[in-house]
Amino acid sequence: MFPIFKPAGDSAIAIIFGNEIDENVNKKVHAVAEAIEEAAPEWLIEVVPTYTSVYIYYDSLKISYSEVLEAVKPFLSAEPREEEKRIIEIPVAYGGEFGPDIEFVAECNGLTVEEVIEIHSKPLYRVYMLGFLPGFAYLGGMDERIATPRLEKPRLKVPAGSVGIAGKQTGWYAIESPGGWRLIGRTPLKTFDPSKSPPSIVKAGDYVKFVPISEEEFWEIYKQEWGESNDRAC
Amino acid sequence: MIELVNVPSLMTIQDLGRTGYQKFGVPVSGVMDEVSARLANYLVGNEDNTPLLEFVLRGPTIRFHSSAVFAIGGDVDAKLNGIPINPWESYWAKRSDVLEIGTLKTGMYGYIAFAGGICCERILGSCSTYLRANFGRALKSGDTLSLGYAILTGKDGKKLPEAFVPKYSNESEVRVILGPQEDHFTEEGIRTFLSSTYEVTPESDRMGYRLEGPKIEHSEKGADIITDAIPLGAIQVPKSGKPIIMLADRQTTGGYAKIGVVARVDIPKVAQTRPGGKIRFRAVSVEDAQKALRRRETTMEAIKMFLLGELKAYKLKALGEEVIAFTKVEKKR
Repeated sequence: MFPIFKPAGDSAIAIIFGNEIDENVNKKVHAVAEAIEEAAPEWLIEVVPTYTSVYIYYDSLKISYSEVLEAVKPFLSAEPREEEKRIIEIPVAYGGEFGPDIEFVAECNGLTVEEVIEIHSKPLYRVYMLGFLPGFAYLGGMDERIATPRLEKPRLKVPAGSVGIAGKQTGWYAIESPGGWRLIGRTPLKTFDPSKSPPSIVKAGDYVKFVPISEEEFWEIYKQEWGESNDRAC
Repeated sequence: MIELVNVPSLMTIQDLGRTGYQKFGVPVSGVMDEVSARLANYLVGNEDNTPLLEFVLRGPTIRFHSSAVFAIGGDVDAKLNGIPINPWESYWAKRSDVLEIGTLKTGMYGYIAFAGGICCERILGSCSTYLRANFGRALKSGDTLSLGYAILTGKDGKKLPEAFVPKYSNESEVRVILGPQEDHFTEEGIRTFLSSTYEVTPESDRMGYRLEGPKIEHSEKGADIITDAIPLGAIQVPKSGKPIIMLADRQTTGGYAKIGVVARVDIPKVAQTRPGGKIRFRAVSVEDAQKALRRRETTMEAIKMFLLGELKAYKLKALGEEVIAFTKVEKKR
């Protein structure tokens, strides 16, 4: 049955590898996405891997849908390269001003704050995909013992780096934005920096490990990370 | 340099968008109506992707601090030093000249292109403003902008032939390619979508247009999907059954079922529909949508060459209809 091919408008094709969130399906997604990106055919605009699908954006002035359908077939045999597992450590200062909702998360689940920190920083989380907002990583693998419903009224401004929980998901805000996640901590890392290439410190297919740090360590790293840099072009 | 004396509406710098970074969650952005924007750039001798100004409904007042050649794309009255000028025509402005642009008579987005383009901070390879991530910002009264270097001689006095001036309507039929999640809708739901008239609501912006109209029925698979990519023009239908057309500033991924995707050739039509305007959808094959796009791009290329003086345009009557034909200009050696 899978993969399924579907036009997603006249300038994209969706290749669908499964119908549920599954690590092996997602590994296949990234293997195929990377193979197409590496080959970089001249009609390719960009590739967007998601949980279960690969969207290939193409220049429909250079290639038709039926031609794309043929052109992508050789890449479908690409297999995940297990040995290249990348683990990104994300230092997090938990609680206090950095994680104003951590007490709520603890209370909600009948845990102490220390237990929440321990449970949250223990797993190796898989980055299934990036999306929604610049640098936002969809992580898999959170322990359901710390699952907490979202805020009823989202905050208008959540600082960049804030780490939160929404239902059974966890993640961090890579840029400042409004948001309804329960905030439990904050990373001092500039996880999304448009002046860098690539702009995000994590990419889909990586693994993430949260490492608890103190408030002093937070500010020390923060100062190194957040210097202004602008690239003016004319 | 130009000075924005008065900016009465949202006005931003845009180009054709920030491609290549959607996999990092970075929206494409870029102009809402690529045809109007590209034509305005062609009129001043620029390439398609040159940064220009995009305004919503009400145009700005601009004072020139140095000579420049500009063109306005949009159905709007304008004055240069108090003297009426036309959109879709390029003009030479001198130091201290003042350009006043009025309110669009039809359409939602207007453009001002300058020969050489606007200098701006390029973020991930693009000058497109994306407010949610502070990529650029909304322009304010009092701002000054530098223009890129360009030879101005010979760039003014260009006029877009009337036949190619975009016509904006508040009632349009839009071609869509059904899918990729058409299985999340009942047959009845798809029939409702293709046979009803939808109205653009005021909750519409550069990110997407929310539509009001008959409720589209989901199948037993429901409105939610595993988070998936969102192409330009994707029509998401959340649980409410009311469609949302995703446009330039759309997020890269989302969790609502997509009943269809607007053909790229009709995106400008959607973008130029005002709140209160009506949209009807017609299903076409992906092949037909691509053919229509190729036809449009052949015309765009010819217009570009014509405005550069490399093609001549003729009005012909064919099968009782007036058409424009182009021929090559013989270059004297």
